[in-house]
Amino acid sequence: MSRIVVTGIGIITAIGTTADENRDSLVHAKTGIGKARFFNSRYTAHLPFGEINQATEQLAERLGIENNTATRTDLLALHAAKQAITDANLSKEDLSGSDTALIGGSTVGGMCLTDEMYADANATGISNSPYLTSYSNSANTSFLQLYFNIGGLINTFNTACSSSANAIMYGARLLKNGVAKRVIAGGVDSLSKYTVNGFNALMILSGEPCKPFDRERKGLNLGEGAAFLILEREEDASGKKIYAEVKGYGNSNDAFHPSSTSAEGEGPYLSMKRALDIAGLSPAAIDFINAHGTATENNDETESAAMLRLFDQAPAFASTKSYTGHTLGAAGAVEAVYSILSLQHQEVYSSLHFKDAIDSTGLKPVTQYEKRDLNHVMSNSFGFGGNCTSLIFSKM
Amino acid sequence: MYIHQHICISPQQTNGVVDLEIINSSQDGKLLAIEPQLQGVPPSMLRRMSKAVRMGMGAGLPLINEKNIDGIIIGTANGGMEDCIRFLNQIIDYDEGLLTPANFVQSTPNAIAGQLSLITKNRTYNATHVHNGLAFENALTDARMSLLEKPGTQYLVGGVDEISSYNYNIDYLAGWYDKTKSNDDLYSTHTPGTIAGEGAAMFIINDIADNAFGKIEAIDAFQSTDKEQVEARFKNFLDSYIPDTNHTLLISGENGDSRFLPAYATCEFAIGSSIPVARFKHLTGEYPTSSSFALWLACHAFHEQGLPAHFYKNEHNLTQIDRAILYNQYQGKQHSFILVSR
Repeated sequence: MSRIVVTGIGIITAIGTTADENRDSLVHAKTGIGKARFFNSRYTAHLPFGEINQATEQLAERLGIENNTATRTDLLALHAAKQAITDANLSKEDLSGSDTALIGGSTVGGMCLTDEMYADANATGISNSPYLTSYSNSANTSFLQLYFNIGGLINTFNTACSSSANAIMYGARLLKNGVAKRVIAGGVDSLSKYTVNGFNALMILSGEPCKPFDRERKGLNLGEGAAFLILEREEDASGKKIYAEVKGYGNSNDAFHPSSTSAEGEGPYLSMKRALDIAGLSPAAIDFINAHGTATENNDETESAAMLRLFDQAPAFASTKSYTGHTLGAAGAVEAVYSILSLQHQEVYSSLHFKDAIDSTGLKPVTQYEKRDLNHVMSNSFGFGGNCTSLIFSKM
Repeated sequence: MYIHQHICISPQQTNGVVDLEIINSSQDGKLLAIEPQLQGVPPSMLRRMSKAVRMGMGAGLPLINEKNIDGIIIGTANGGMEDCIRFLNQIIDYDEGLLTPANFVQSTPNAIAGQLSLITKNRTYNATHVHNGLAFENALTDARMSLLEKPGTQYLVGGVDEISSYNYNIDYLAGWYDKTKSNDDLYSTHTPGTIAGEGAAMFIINDIADNAFGKIEAIDAFQSTDKEQVEARFKNFLDSYIPDTNHTLLISGENGDSRFLPAYATCEFAIGSSIPVARFKHLTGEYPTSSSFALWLACHAFHEQGLPAHFYKNEHNLTQIDRAILYNQYQGKQHSFILVSR
């Protein structure tokens, strides 16, 4: 079975518009969570967000997009996908070939246009809205397909916060099964009234910067971002720069509750275990975990419980959501990029704002940036609806 | 991969005792699915379920209860859109005040696969594909890969979409629907627009040939607005997978929208006039995962070795059905060919 490798990465988050900028923020413990300047919601007055430091118009201008139907979600996806495609030197012919697949993942999709969608959904008579085809949660994938003229299989996942982790998993499987020769896989979400109000109604938004795995954690901060990976089979990538191997992936449903995880972390435990099985690794082989670590009461405790069940000794771990906020459907791909950067530079990034361990688990995340020998890094993403996915990236 | 049990919830008599001779009529340009009677769903849960979730439970739960399922793989473009718009309306109407989260939690497209898993305590592989008119095709591809990776396993694979005030209104404004059309003469009005539909079709899929209803031989799904490209890909599909077209049926997603007739006509022409064409959207209306109904219809046609006369576009003398080719396209942008054999 040929190895699946990463030959390109692209990313935009609150802590940078390139992989280098993101890494620089992570190395220097610079968070992107703060006051939102562009996002229009009542909640920007008193809740912090992981907002990307560019207005939508500015993003469009930089990307040379003149059509007024592109949403912020579309533009963020384009920014990250373009970087990844350039990074992997994919040609026009590569992109238009029927063996190039594009797999996206998004939670909010085009619903970032909450007000416009409200107007159109309740409109009577003729609407001149330019957005009638922009709202779906697959709209951003179709936007990329059209922009790059992608000729192969096109798909979008929506498994809430594990969407883009599943997109990467599906992409790796398409390559292994010979359905595609090249895969562009990742995800995107932008800040929206829809998700802010949803999470606020669930009372899991923190009024201060989030504190993953801390005893006094108060909930999550919403963020936005996009990240894409280029995946290829090792034999097709000779002569190319190779970042890492996609060694394992696992998916499970926790089957407990629509918006929280079971106390013993059954779904997280199974997704991590299945990823190890596919990778052919023992738990002890994992050097670091980029945790889901949303900083909600429920997630951090149950994710810790699952780690304690699976590992004799929990590996070093941290949550980069303390930098970017929770980027929802994009989180799996964003954190895949961070896991890859960790492997590439043999370093781990600190979890911010941690003070005291959760009583029931005693687990402490990494709180200092440090150089470290890493062979295998696991990245977790768990979503509403019980969807849990774990990915394992390995040094080549 | 082989199709075993299946359940189809639609606007017609397809669930339980199947009767395709009688056709329920559309109302105001919509064909609403017949509500399933749900067994084993707690009333507190039932109250909160959107129609998409109820249809998904009605089609999926009986199948999961019969089998050991190694994965739940759902294709749905919109999931619970009705909840989505309810929550959206709350946000604006109450100017982002303190809202109730129920609609928000139910509005995620993965609610169908999630609730199936929750009710049956199934912790296996769980995926929700939402790529609009190709959501169900991707679910099938996912299942095909799963079987290659783990022979001997079996999966619940389904396509579900509901008519919601949201998607109906927005798609209506975008010109996809015509409220004056009905399913009595859907194919004879040569104007843009069609009727809206909904449904859920689910299948147990594994790699065991014995007693199967059908075998999925090949899938090709892609995006294009170019008729020539559709034609080229269809010809390539025929050349690659269909050595002879004896006893073959073409199941077409033609929906009465004049803008898309050329694409369907091209494929009918490419396969040749000797192949009968069966249409189904006068039974279902148009929705993104309607190819799941077409797959159910192919299984039904194999089982019965025929279909009622109203399905056929022209006179035909097909007495044996060994193979069905499904061609469906959504909004002129997304196309799929699926080959199923007996």
